[in-house]
Amino acid sequence: MGFQFDLSFFAYEISIAIQYIPVVLLLSILPLIVGLVFGTGIAIVRIFKVRILAQVFAVIVVFLRGVPLLLQLTILYLTVMLSFDSFAQALHLNMTSKDISYTLIAVIGLSINATVYLSEVVRTALQSVNSGQYEAAYSVGMTSCQMLRRIVIPQALPVTIPLIGSNFIGLIKGSAIASLISVVEIINATLFEANGNYKFLEAYLAAAIIYWALCIMVERIVAFLESRVGVYGKGGIV
Amino acid sequence: MENIFLVSLFIDSFPKLLSRLHITLYIVVVALLFGMLLGTYIAVVRLYKVPILSSLATAYVSFIRGIPILVLLYIVYIGLPLVVGFLGVNINRWDTMIFVMIAYVVNTSAFLSEIIRSAVAGVDLGQTEAAYSVGMTRWQAFRRIVAPQALQIGIPALGNTIVSLLKDTSLAYTLGVIDIIGVIKAITGNTYRSLEAYAAAAVIFFILSFMLEQVFKLIERKVGVKSAISNQG
Repeated sequence: MGFQFDLSFFAYEISIAIQYIPVVLLLSILPLIVGLVFGTGIAIVRIFKVRILAQVFAVIVVFLRGVPLLLQLTILYLTVMLSFDSFAQALHLNMTSKDISYTLIAVIGLSINATVYLSEVVRTALQSVNSGQYEAAYSVGMTSCQMLRRIVIPQALPVTIPLIGSNFIGLIKGSAIASLISVVEIINATLFEANGNYKFLEAYLAAAIIYWALCIMVERIVAFLESRVGVYGKGGIV
Repeated sequence: MENIFLVSLFIDSFPKLLSRLHITLYIVVVALLFGMLLGTYIAVVRLYKVPILSSLATAYVSFIRGIPILVLLYIVYIGLPLVVGFLGVNINRWDTMIFVMIAYVVNTSAFLSEIIRSAVAGVDLGQTEAAYSVGMTRWQAFRRIVAPQALQIGIPALGNTIVSLLKDTSLAYTLGVIDIIGVIKAITGNTYRSLEAYAAAAVIFFILSFMLEQVFKLIERKVGVKSAISNQG
């Protein structure tokens, strides 16, 4: 039996996969933004050692970092499915658990995951700035907010960009796991087309090519940003 | 609250899940060992810029690192028998575990080769030149001067990769392996009553990851690592 690889079907699958790129971007860009916003908040709380919150966040971050994304999504999915009906009845909403969008659950789950990792990235970046900078800023009378905005963040940015880039790539690949909780994205779409002719290898390879292309583009963007932001990085002339 | 989370079921799940812990650890250890071997070979090929192999290696690393592990699992599972079958060998009877191992070894090798490559490249070239100038051979220079410094640079990333590998093994169940997650699917068969078991699995994975992280913090201190940047691989 020879090795059969249907190139025309493969090309068709690639066209199908391309149509679902927006879904992948939704499942990765949205969590990235949410993750950056809340992650920065958590990082700042932990760095300034706000009384109770810092410890609570530390425990949450350490715990969630050790749980695989699959389990995070599955547990979130099951919890929502199980509790939504009673929740909706209590609020007199006219919805059942069948009306919930799986994609929304996936976005929330990925956002939580992104927040945890990005809080560590931001925390590392803020700590990489010499503590002398913080002290000097306070000594000329800046408030914490001014200090962060004018002194710390511009110096922390060159460290952050590659880390955020690799986290973004991780989110793009993590969106594939959403396919396991019934979200219609690239893998499910290409598989659906192959259900009739059993050409699953073409389906998975097409999905792989699209993911690869997306990751390469992100790497190029990150490299470009690194060269732009590096102007004000350490070792530059002020 | 009772029809959402039964604590008794949660506690009862632990023995069942822990009985499959050895499968998970087996995958991690095998993937690490062979991934390290293959990854070192790929890193060496790229560092010495061997003519054709180097470009092949670069493409291989870029591809494997750019695709989700889920997709890689299926490509290996479906594709390998087809490719090898073309050469006349029938491996359809192979245990699923072997395909799972191959997929994780391939994935780990790509990430490890990048870590090794950047760690070795991160050691100042002056170190190697100085070693040659005092008469060391290539191998002596590498073993005594470059490797220890590369180890210092690479250990944090290595630790992160191993923890990520542990979490990535959670996807092996999609090929039918009965590991910690696989046994949940086998017992509950996709009913809604599996939340407690998944929560127990989450706790187990957290404890494993936490222990691994502490081990690596210890190793980092012993090896003398200056700073550690955490990363999502």
